[in-house]
Amino acid sequence: MTKKIVLGLVAAAFLIGGLVSCKKAESVASYKIGVAVAQTGSYAGLGSQFLEGMELMVDSINEAGGVNGIPLEVVIYDNKSEATETTLVVKKLIEVDQVHALIEGTVTALGMSIVPVANESGVPTVILSGTGLLDDQLGAWVFRPAGTEDNYIALSLEYMSQEMGISEYATLLENSGYGQGGKVYLPQRSPSYNLTIVEEQYFDPGATDLTTQLTNIKNSEAQLIFVWGSSPTASMAVKQARELGISLPIMATPPQVMPDALASFGEYYKMEPPLLASTTKMDIWEQLPDSDRYKALYRDFTQLFTESYDHSPSLWQMLGAQYITFIEDGLKRVGTTSTDVTEIRSQLRDALESTEKLQLLTSVYTMSPEDHFGQVEQTLVIVTFRDGEMVLAP
Amino acid sequence: MDFSTALQIFFSGLNLGSIYTALGLGFFVVYSVTRVLNLAQGEFVMLGGMLTVSFYTMGIPLPASIALAVVITGLVGAGFYRFIIYPARNASGATKVFLTLGFSFIIEGVALRVWGWEFRILPAFLDTPSIQLWGATIFGQTPWVIGITLLMVIGLFLYFGRTIQGKALRACANEPLGARLMGISIERMALFSFILAAGLGAVVGALITPLTMTSYSMGLPLAAKGLLAAFVGGITRAEGVILGGFIYGMIEAITAGVIPGGYHNAIAPLILVVIFLSRRRGLLVTAGKG
Repeated sequence: MTKKIVLGLVAAAFLIGGLVSCKKAESVASYKIGVAVAQTGSYAGLGSQFLEGMELMVDSINEAGGVNGIPLEVVIYDNKSEATETTLVVKKLIEVDQVHALIEGTVTALGMSIVPVANESGVPTVILSGTGLLDDQLGAWVFRPAGTEDNYIALSLEYMSQEMGISEYATLLENSGYGQGGKVYLPQRSPSYNLTIVEEQYFDPGATDLTTQLTNIKNSEAQLIFVWGSSPTASMAVKQARELGISLPIMATPPQVMPDALASFGEYYKMEPPLLASTTKMDIWEQLPDSDRYKALYRDFTQLFTESYDHSPSLWQMLGAQYITFIEDGLKRVGTTSTDVTEIRSQLRDALESTEKLQLLTSVYTMSPEDHFGQVEQTLVIVTFRDGEMVLAP
Repeated sequence: MDFSTALQIFFSGLNLGSIYTALGLGFFVVYSVTRVLNLAQGEFVMLGGMLTVSFYTMGIPLPASIALAVVITGLVGAGFYRFIIYPARNASGATKVFLTLGFSFIIEGVALRVWGWEFRILPAFLDTPSIQLWGATIFGQTPWVIGITLLMVIGLFLYFGRTIQGKALRACANEPLGARLMGISIERMALFSFILAAGLGAVVGALITPLTMTSYSMGLPLAAKGLLAAFVGGITRAEGVILGGFIYGMIEAITAGVIPGGYHNAIAPLILVVIFLSRRRGLLVTAGKG
């Protein structure tokens, strides 16, 4: 609450400042960024974390005087974890609030739902999605400076095959936009690591009983289970597998080792054999060698973050912060020559597309007309649990 | 399919069926007395689960946590009847259903403020370990769900069938005018049915949290499943609620193991709708009654 008041005061101060400066300079009072994010519904957890990181970065930019001397103003609407609601609030952001840029900060399905309207209306847009499957559908106006399943698939499969000597494994995939990545990429990439999928099972986000699927896996020749999903059910899969007495190693995806999942299911993650997961270096930054430049990056971000919040940041908070940094970087190159909304939108789009070697929290990004994902460096690691702690996998 | 897989599907169906039956009981109680379809029943379940977890994590023993959750949820049920349903007692059935839906959103909103979005989980009661039987597994909590649900069903049977007050409750729905002429206060009975349904809902919430997890938004989706199951079995009879719950659970368990990805959540309701269309009063209700 206090944070919101402070934010409001800062915004008001800048607004007044902006009104005063209107007389002398030809520039906008603020750069308006419209944000559609899940604050309620099944993805409220992810959306709320995204907002934490985002607001932190907006505050810190505004405290330092804004971008080109112009403050950032964020207009946030709850998309209720629904695609229709997302499109609705985004139209409002574009037409009523006249924002210069848009962010959808929750999950693939919600982000993708605004791609058509963003392109038709000509608003530079950043969506949060962890799948590279849809990158060819982003159009000229939409960017996705996040991660891709390709990274953790390569990393996980290599670990399974090289370090663990696995040759046959089972998949347990979530029926969701996120799960789709595993469904498509795992069968595609496995052969090059001499891995065979011997059993393929699915679950719905929100399902409460995965015993049938797990039994099918138990009865197969699988030496490992690859559980892929972003809902609490994906984490519960580990609990139910252990309760079924399945002692196969389990490989998980980054959302499954986020703090809320660890809090609820940590004890099952730590059971023998401990869970393996691919995740961002942020989660174990203290264990990185000093030579890794991400160690310093994450130390600084964690310090900044914990000044405002009583917990450590994780992936969605990093993404919230880096989406603002990405837009900030574009805005710097737009300059202050125009006050026309349409013109700023179009200049910002061009600027974002020419992003070059921009160091963000999750990686380095270089955009081009052909590539609106732009990640140039793989920065994930495999983690596991030892003595109750999450550690870099040996 | 080998034996252990078939058995596991059966256990999984039992597990899900007991959850849906437990959910359906609250609908049954309110509907048999007031003919109101209470869509906020799922919120009572959610409140029961969240309150129990909250008290339990404060260090209060589990039985006491559940009791506290039941009392508080019962009070919410009473308030809901007294301040929302009672003033609209002369409105149409559809109006009342919308009022219950509205109330459901209010509770969900308040719960989000109070507890945040995080999901929570409880350990199985008395830390009952999973049970291995012929290569299949029953979760430790499932016998608790089945057992306590069974107790609640028996209790309701005895109450509605054997006690004066229980009979009076049913009379309110079947013969409102007659009941009034006999000196039964329909309003007081309706109030009582809401308190009873809320209390039962809270028990169910505590009971299923070790299996389903709980979060502020779990009410409506679970209620929808429980309601569908209750309708298919026959919402005016407790046996109907049980039958519907277990049919739904079994169908879900079978589709989860056999149907390839993407359609689990669609198929079970679809089958239920088909059953429902062929027997609109529910499987266990004979024509002319209910």
